[in-house]
Amino acid sequence: MLRYRWRLLVWGLAVLACLGGCGKAEPSRWEAAQQSTANQPAVAEQSVEGSSFNRFFPQAERPWDIVFKQEKTGFAQASLQKDGREMAVLSVSDTVNNPDALQKYQTSGLTLDTHPRAEIGADATAVLVGDRYQVQVRSQDPEFGPADREAWLRKFNLEAIGRIR
Amino acid sequence: MSEPIYKIVDDLPSSSMTVRLLQALDWVVPGEWKNIVGFENTIREVTGQSDPAFVQRVGERAIALYNDKTQGYQRALWLYQTVDFVQGVAGFTAMLSKLGESFSFLSFLDRLTPKSDTTQAVDLGLKIVTEIVAFCKINGLPGDSIGDFVESLADYRHEALMRMGTLVCIDGLVPLGPDFIDKGLSLLDRSGVSTVEQSSRFNQIKEYIPGKNTAEQISFMQQGLEAVKGWSQNFTSSHNVTLDKIVSSLRGKLQGVEGHLDYLGAFLDMSVNYYEHTGVQSIARSLISRAAAEI
Repeated sequence: MLRYRWRLLVWGLAVLACLGGCGKAEPSRWEAAQQSTANQPAVAEQSVEGSSFNRFFPQAERPWDIVFKQEKTGFAQASLQKDGREMAVLSVSDTVNNPDALQKYQTSGLTLDTHPRAEIGADATAVLVGDRYQVQVRSQDPEFGPADREAWLRKFNLEAIGRIR
Repeated sequence: MSEPIYKIVDDLPSSSMTVRLLQALDWVVPGEWKNIVGFENTIREVTGQSDPAFVQRVGERAIALYNDKTQGYQRALWLYQTVDFVQGVAGFTAMLSKLGESFSFLSFLDRLTPKSDTTQAVDLGLKIVTEIVAFCKINGLPGDSIGDFVESLADYRHEALMRMGTLVCIDGLVPLGPDFIDKGLSLLDRSGVSTVEQSSRFNQIKEYIPGKNTAEQISFMQQGLEAVKGWSQNFTSSHNVTLDKIVSSLRGKLQGVEGHLDYLGAFLDMSVNYYEHTGVQSIARSLISRAAAEI
């Protein structure tokens, strides 16, 4: 009888432990970011308008085409297409909105001509111009490799972007 | 504060009545739509990268961008959700889920009232206006940029093209016939201000429809319909979209649908939310694409 009660007690404790702990979901890996940015501005007041970047994007000739996608404060993005197929995404962004982005240029030790350059994962190459603006080319098609990304980065008017204030 | 974007994307169903409808209509835009669900998964799909540190940085920036109301993503999402919401839908979908996969379309008909052609026309106009306004919010354009929207329609891809293709089928061709844009325009012409003001959908989103009063807002809806006319005619002919083909692709999902097309609009209103589902996917794609460029 005593043994039976002992078993009951062990099971009871196990059930209580489970009710207390097993039901709790793991905190999401995104929760901290959510808490720190809720209702906070994501762009800085001194950021330039995205429209100021547009005219310095590359000029494209057939079979290439550039279709502008997003134009927000401190950001402009376009799709680079070849015969209607998306090959890459081209973007210019103002790092005053996300100063952490500058770190990768300080540590990469790479350049494109005179501009600090960084590889972002396996599919994107970016340069920093005017110590402030990131110009990025992200491949969207396996045929569009690192050499293509560098070639299209050079087609931006990088000097003019660097002078925007 | 609205729900966090990561949770909204995490909560997208991998299987539901909406997903089955979109899968049934996949032939309309072959190879364009993939039901990408989950925030991390969407980051991996959009960027092509799976490095955990990269995914984390992109996700954190995307969350920050979404949380800044001035960036327009929250409003776009609200519009997609609201235009898809019909009162009573929660109870109806709960009933469907209780019955599981094997429910019969016919068994629900006695609970529904067919939508009138005018209601269909108003809903079609509202969904097109929602797409225009949400497109402008997501892309940073003034809310009445119909011309920019129409130009970019030719470049719509992925879930955005699936949404517009489904709109053409389910809210256009099936309820209003092959000339659904012309029919919608003339029905809106005849409906008048008071009829449109009776629409709960209109009342919920009217604040965001360009125009100083209902008459001007109806006029904006008509301009929206007129603007997509060329695109939708070209879309239906180049993709060979016909009523027969739509009905036959839905037959496997909704038994008995072919004899009851007049109920289909009301039924789908209550049982699917394809605007919201693909709208969340579009917003997540835009956010993540921008975040990946800004980190």
